[in-house]
Amino acid sequence: MPPTETLRAGSGNGERGAGGAGGSEQTYIIRQSNKCYEHRDSQATAMSVDYSGQWVLLAGRGHLALQRLGQDDGTLRRHERQSKYDISVAEFAICPSRREYCAIATSQNIDIVRWGPAEPYYENSLRGHTRTVTDIDWHNKNPNLLVSCSIDTFSHIWDLRDPRKPALSLNAVCMSGATQVGFNRRSGNLLAAAHDGDLRIWDIRKGSCPTHYITAHLNRVHGINWSHKRETCLATASQDGTVKYFDVCNPRRAEKIITTLSPVWRARYTPIGNGLVSIVVPHLGRGENSLLLWSNSKQTDPICSFVGHTDVILDFAWRPNREDSTEIELVTWSRDRTLRVWKIDDTMLKLCEPSPDEDEEGDSSRYEPDLSELRALTPPEFMHTLQPRPMTAASLPIAATLEPGLGANTLPMARSPSFGGVYARREETHIARSLTDQPTCSLQHEFSLLNTNMPHVDVDMLCAIKRYACFKICAADHTIILQVTFPTAYPSPNVPPDFQLCQGTTLSSDVSGVLLKVLRTNALQRVKKSRSCLEQCLRALVAAMKKRVTSVAGAGADRSQMLLQSPRLEGALSSALHDACIPFPRTSGVHFNAIGMLTTFAQVMNTKRLTLRQHQSITPRTLSAINGSGLLGNVMSTTTAQRDPNASFYLQERMIACKRLQGKQRVMRQINGTTPVVHIYDASQLLHINRDMARDFTLDKRNIVETCRRNGEICRAHGRLDLVPIWLLAELIATPHVPHESSMSCQLLFYKDPFKKSLLESLIMHYAGAGDVQTAVLLACLFDKCPAAGLMGMDMDVASCRLPAQLHAQLSPYHTVLPLDFKSSAQARASSGTWQQLKQLRSNSWSDSLDWLDFKLGQTDAFACSLIRRTKMPLFDQFKRAYADVLFGWQLLTKRAVILKHTLHTPPPSQGVEFVTECAGCGKPKRTPKCEPCKRPVLICILCCLPVRGASNACLSCGHGGHMQHMIHWFEHHTVCATGCGCSCLQRTSELLALIS
Amino acid sequence: MVSLLQEIDTEHEDIVHHAALDFYGLLLATCSSDGSVRIFHSRKNNKALAELKGHQGPVWQVAWAHPKFGNILASCSYDRKVIIWKSTTPRDWSKLYEYINHDSSVNSVDFAPAEYGLVLACASSDGSISVLTCNTEYGVWDAKKIPNAHTIGVNAISWCSAQAPDPAFDQRVTSRNPAVKRLVSGGCDNLVKIWREDNDRWIEEHRLEAHSDWVRDVAWAPSIGLPRMQIASASQDRHVIIWSSNADLSQWTSNVLHTFDDAVWSISWSTTGNVLAVTGGDNNVSLWKENSEGQWIRINYESGTAIQSKQSHQLHNPHQQQAQQPLNLPQSSDSEHSSNLSNSNLSNSQLSN
Repeated sequence: MPPTETLRAGSGNGERGAGGAGGSEQTYIIRQSNKCYEHRDSQATAMSVDYSGQWVLLAGRGHLALQRLGQDDGTLRRHERQSKYDISVAEFAICPSRREYCAIATSQNIDIVRWGPAEPYYENSLRGHTRTVTDIDWHNKNPNLLVSCSIDTFSHIWDLRDPRKPALSLNAVCMSGATQVGFNRRSGNLLAAAHDGDLRIWDIRKGSCPTHYITAHLNRVHGINWSHKRETCLATASQDGTVKYFDVCNPRRAEKIITTLSPVWRARYTPIGNGLVSIVVPHLGRGENSLLLWSNSKQTDPICSFVGHTDVILDFAWRPNREDSTEIELVTWSRDRTLRVWKIDDTMLKLCEPSPDEDEEGDSSRYEPDLSELRALTPPEFMHTLQPRPMTAASLPIAATLEPGLGANTLPMARSPSFGGVYARREETHIARSLTDQPTCSLQHEFSLLNTNMPHVDVDMLCAIKRYACFKICAADHTIILQVTFPTAYPSPNVPPDFQLCQGTTLSSDVSGVLLKVLRTNALQRVKKSRSCLEQCLRALVAAMKKRVTSVAGAGADRSQMLLQSPRLEGALSSALHDACIPFPRTSGVHFNAIGMLTTFAQVMNTKRLTLRQHQSITPRTLSAINGSGLLGNVMSTTTAQRDPNASFYLQERMIACKRLQGKQRVMRQINGTTPVVHIYDASQLLHINRDMARDFTLDKRNIVETCRRNGEICRAHGRLDLVPIWLLAELIATPHVPHESSMSCQLLFYKDPFKKSLLESLIMHYAGAGDVQTAVLLACLFDKCPAAGLMGMDMDVASCRLPAQLHAQLSPYHTVLPLDFKSSAQARASSGTWQQLKQLRSNSWSDSLDWLDFKLGQTDAFACSLIRRTKMPLFDQFKRAYADVLFGWQLLTKRAVILKHTLHTPPPSQGVEFVTECAGCGKPKRTPKCEPCKRPVLICILCCLPVRGASNACLSCGHGGHMQHMIHWFEHHTVCATGCGCSCLQRTSELLALIS
Repeated sequence: MVSLLQEIDTEHEDIVHHAALDFYGLLLATCSSDGSVRIFHSRKNNKALAELKGHQGPVWQVAWAHPKFGNILASCSYDRKVIIWKSTTPRDWSKLYEYINHDSSVNSVDFAPAEYGLVLACASSDGSISVLTCNTEYGVWDAKKIPNAHTIGVNAISWCSAQAPDPAFDQRVTSRNPAVKRLVSGGCDNLVKIWREDNDRWIEEHRLEAHSDWVRDVAWAPSIGLPRMQIASASQDRHVIIWSSNADLSQWTSNVLHTFDDAVWSISWSTTGNVLAVTGGDNNVSLWKENSEGQWIRINYESGTAIQSKQSHQLHNPHQQQAQQPLNLPQSSDSEHSSNLSNSNLSNSQLSN
């Protein structure tokens, strides 16, 4: 299989799939694999290449297999193993002295296997973890050391000379388990462990707590790889679709970011050269299974894409070439069950090197060995010292400033630790030259004129001799340390000052780039006319910063990044990114609304059967359970469900699984089932409430017998036959059994009839208890405060009906009407003023609240009586209120008002403007037209000078008013008050009303 | 006797986690793992009237406020945010308030009864409960937090219905002060807790222990005024438990409603507090009702899952039926059988009284 190499431009029709970084013209090399081995029957989940590069270990649940590389006969040594658990990770030792050893993690245990000439020997079993081991890494200098991490949040370091217990346990106190771990390749004292999106950097000499926390990603980290060159650098690959380069000395922000559209499963530095290889896992298993080679100095486009695998690539490893150190090979193992070997030759590695026109980066690599050597000499505390990392804007295009690598600029700093400040001088040569120059008057003059009290800006240093200035700008929750260097020619035309953002800046690199651009354009505008620009630039920067940060914050993805870099939130986030305690998402739900409508939805999650098998339990409990059961182990983490826009991934994944397990028929049904359909049902019948019935029911108190009959008919019409007898019963209750010519005492007894009261009460309680609040409330309302006339039937003589009723009113608990003289009442009955007379005879305890009722109900209310016991009233009132709420939901507002009229509650005091008059007699404010104690009307019409009883109106300013009709007449022609008080009532009142509203 | 009014295809790109009708039953709000909340007209299967985007993670639950405060909707999400939305027209929604003070996924929101004003309770996986009170006059939100309400996390929250003030001459012994706000919460510590507001502080009044796994949903039954209180709690342990109390809420007794086939995820009481709807991991919707003897019986017989809407509703499972009370016969046949119109699986049984 000869390698085919093509150079093609991305055709832009989405062919690049997940690997695309969104660049406009994408030119990169496409490589086919050099060798390919197929293992159709292998179910290996882990792969590792040994030290010599001759053997590849493929480890699966049922067997271990060694594939010999470099020989095309494809020798395969297979060894069966008995285990019910998958192998989560297998790693060959990377030290030559233990080259035949490998560590294999199964469930909570790690087996150390030595490959003898014939078969593997199980040397040791490392037991210490309590949950599944997720990753293993060997120390590259000490052959006895290896580190393992587990879901139980611990990372254990094992010394194979004492395998009984871990040599060191690193306890990350956090909720999320460790998923990845890696020893530093240069120092060997540092190690990094990933807990969801966070990294913890440990120094094994001080294992009590991590030395650094890095809030690296918003989402789970799938891969950690330490740089082979720079001791403090590492690259992380994450579910959130990014690869980030971190310098552990600067945990706040990533140095560089590669952004892809899909989760990145692994990212590893090339052992030689300046590259990095990443595995991108496409969404939904569709799209390219990208294996991409990136240059460390260019994050926008990959250098090379390795094509050939047809399914997700599970892992890859470097095959060291012991003879020729300039060539390396890449070994990949994919779920398509092929093992492929790819040669990475010189030309490719050369492409990874920064191009010569990017001089900054060139410098960086030139100084590289120098720098790392320097660092190796520094004591471990070096990590705590702040390392300046200026970004140069003036000399580079914006794109280059996105990569604040350790360039030439930092070198003088690292060499002169005596320089204690956090600010970097730009270039020693530059400063040296400026030292010799005399400071121009204009710069000193500008500094002296600079307003040091600008909002958000702190001046840290102004030095006219060294020609630079430092500012600290705090705006929009971010801090910028800005260093400005002034060339000697400044401010002559086209010589702008040089701006740098230094260590301590909390902005992401792209925002910084934009801000630097703002500074530069502002500076250029000013210096074009040979004017000083410093203050102008600072003001523009603050404005731009506020604007930029808020606009970026709205843009979603960027916002999270911003949040991460705000130190205030780091702590909160690091503990929050775990799903183990978030419940498993609901796939079905029910909801009743206030009027008995039921909403249901249900979507079958196809994962179910699968999970059931693997967990031997019912539906998983937590969100994190989703990933544990996937075919890929933890490849598709939890969070696919969450943060990916295309979150159905896990559904899809399970569907495939289901197909294998259950056969097609079921799958088809389940696929149909996953459509998110919501059903709305009317369940009000179950609740025994019915809107149509509520609309039709009457509460006509004039003839209760007739009302009961009609309500019974309504029930029949709506199919509630069970209620018909109840209304018949109610009819009987309402019908007097005593002949009407009987004596008064008999009548009284009738109203106090204990049987009827008890019957009615138990009926109401039964229906309320059974949930039929509608019937209960209607009964309670109908027999509450009912007029006597109604109870007695229509055929009764008017006179004889009234007299006992009035008598009875005295006995009613609510109406303490003084007994009337029967005779006078009987005489007066024909007159329309009867009720007014009655009213005047009332005691003062007749509450105001019933007054309004009285006005409306008029005559009937005066005869009110009740079959409801007073002790039951509050309870029934609550039934009524509950029913009133339902009526409100049905928007039967008048029906609701009628029901609420039957409760004892006082209507809430009016919230609007109210006209309160003062009684001339007692001087107390009155809302009623008459002062009860003084028995005199309170409002006298200013026009007719008669007391006002009906509709009235008054000026809110002067208080004069009167009959509505009179007022209308008056103000048709006038604008000022009729009393001559000089108040222009219309205008003043409208002003006051406008003020109130 | 449940009739299907409408089937709405939400067209969410991912799993729907909650759907709720507003007070009047006019608007439907759904929320999904795709991070959006959608508003639909409940009687038309049209496109969404509005799509509310603001969450960056799956939205777990939505809740409508009482209409007297306007058209207000609250949503909670995995992204640790609670957003309160307000609309002028059903198509026009804007963020009224965003609460970002939780450190983990917010799993549940519930608006308090309207008598208490515009008050929202939020339950989060960070173990705390937040009670947000809006001063409607000034539009200012005040947040009160109950830290460590449940260890590991709070999964569900529900308010006790407000009790109208009892008239002074009521002779019943009432220790139930109407002004006292109460909440019930369920969490990952397998507990159901009842909280009472006491002088600006929320104190734990009771802790109800009976579940053996995470409590996934709690619902305080709406009260129509009867001197008893009921709380339903659903759990991962496949049980739904009905907690009953007397009027003064001093003692709670548990009663296992049923042991389901799978974890129970969602429960909801009808407005009159006598019908309980339950659904869980097996996606079956079941409706339960208490008969006069205090036994809970299932009132819908169904086969398969709720989503098989095209299935005939007449597939009554005899095994399930025998567990029912024999006296609860279906309504007489001359009444209008709305279920004939429905193709739902919620079938046509109704309890006769």
